[in-house]
Amino acid sequence: MSQSHGNVSSANDPRQPLAAKPYTPRPVAPEDLPVDYSGFIAVILGVSGVMFRYKICSWLAIIFCAQSLANMRNLENDLKQISMAMMYVPSLTRLDFIS
Amino acid sequence: MTRRSFFCLTLILCISFHLHLLSASQFEGFDAEDDDASDDSSDLHHSLPPPTITQSHSSLPDPQPSPDDSTSDLIPESDPEPQSDPSSTPFDFWDEDEFEGLPETIDSSPTAENATETADPETASTAQDATPPSKKKKKEKSYAIEIACVCFLMALGINYFVGKRENERLALAWAAKFASKDTIFHKNFSLLGVGDGVESPLLLKEALNVFKFYASGRRYCHGLLATMELKSRHDLISRVFNLVVPCKDEITFEVYMNEEAMDHVVFAMAKNKAAKTMQKEVKDLQRFAGIVSPPTGRKWVSEELSVISESKEVAGDMITDTVLDQVFGDKAMEKYGKNFMSMHISDQHPGKHKKMMLFKFSLPDAKHMDDIVRLVALIPYYIDLVGRYRLSTQARNKTETGRQKAAEEAYKELQNARQEALQKKKAERKKLIEEAEAKLSAEVIRKKEVKERARQVKKAMPKIKMSRGH
Repeated sequence: MSQSHGNVSSANDPRQPLAAKPYTPRPVAPEDLPVDYSGFIAVILGVSGVMFRYKICSWLAIIFCAQSLANMRNLENDLKQISMAMMYVPSLTRLDFIS
Repeated sequence: MTRRSFFCLTLILCISFHLHLLSASQFEGFDAEDDDASDDSSDLHHSLPPPTITQSHSSLPDPQPSPDDSTSDLIPESDPEPQSDPSSTPFDFWDEDEFEGLPETIDSSPTAENATETADPETASTAQDATPPSKKKKKEKSYAIEIACVCFLMALGINYFVGKRENERLALAWAAKFASKDTIFHKNFSLLGVGDGVESPLLLKEALNVFKFYASGRRYCHGLLATMELKSRHDLISRVFNLVVPCKDEITFEVYMNEEAMDHVVFAMAKNKAAKTMQKEVKDLQRFAGIVSPPTGRKWVSEELSVISESKEVAGDMITDTVLDQVFGDKAMEKYGKNFMSMHISDQHPGKHKKMMLFKFSLPDAKHMDDIVRLVALIPYYIDLVGRYRLSTQARNKTETGRQKAAEEAYKELQNARQEALQKKKAERKKLIEEAEAKLSAEVIRKKEVKERARQVKKAMPKIKMSRGH
């Protein structure tokens, strides 16, 4: 496309199609990922809610679990861990409500 | 690892809790009784009142023929805890031996029952009245928390979708202004977008609030990566937090310069406070550059901004008149420089790619994208400026010595790291060998012991001579 315009504009045209490199995403080590504080808080609240039988704790655990799901990045990496937490927190809250 | 260990701990807690629940269920009649006594008694009151009333009437003329029936029905009313006669009650699971004394006391006072009959229905009715309101109160109290939390969850869900759409709209507005056809990046770069081919998507959505734009195919540079870090509009809790701690939508441009294109330049500019922290925290600025005071006799940047540079010459060459007139001068800064946050040009950048330029701006609203047009126009201007820039010999000599030292130190650090790695490997190998030797020696000792025992056994056994029979 730039060749068809001729040599007049090529001097001013800063584009260099030959020098174009495709995008390579930087690999992110799993250790460098930001810490999932909300998931951690969700697990702590869930356990404390079941142990001390505070309903508020169990409900807050569900809320923080939802927040950690909402803030999920890298679907493949985090989905496993967050799905584990998601199954874990509601099961804890169910225990609390049964007892 | 921490998450796994935490998960194991909580699993163990869960299992122990389950066991506790199971054990509690076996002693339903005793321990659970104390907690649920009020509920049981209220149930009994609910189920029993009509028969007690009728039976009390029937029992009045004939107390004798049916003392057991009346007593069985009256006992639960008189006693708050349901310790009734097992013959007529459904609670056959209870141990009769536990309630030895009760039947005697009740049989001994049949006349007292008649007197208490009239009182009992009243107490029963009052007890009935007392328990439902408390139950209702309990019910009302408990629902408040549930309602509040469910409402919050619904608000979270609604905010998720609304915030997500808002962020996407903002990112698309930026892309429409700067990355679509006949826009600044389209005129400057041949390859736009994150995929292969002509119709590759322009933006890469890394997270709900992080968008990336890539462009390549220009002189003096490999490529450009723009990262938009927007506010977490999708997360209600973050939104509330941002009301207290203000946050801005940011866009960071990283330009990867060619090796041959960039000379020894270490230059940064930011607002005054930010510049001080940058100079202390960023490694190459710390090592090579310092805050430059405004020179006399020439136009300089607005007072809001501070310049960090290796030398005044480099700083002066980077801050050209056009830039001052367009963006960084006193007048222009008020109009066009509001969204400027920082810029950092360096050939000693810490990280993988050494020769880089970083520009950081704050993003305006979707409707006010025009505010950053001049700031974004700085980027191709600086790519050309830095790509063509060559230091004078004096400045070059100064910079060379500094960089040589830095290169030597880096080399030494690498060597130290390699030596440490080698030492670690040697130590590990030694440990393995020692463990193997210890194991071997243990096995050898065992074999020796076994052999010795076998020998002793053989010695103890009488020798049997065997001869071949022909």
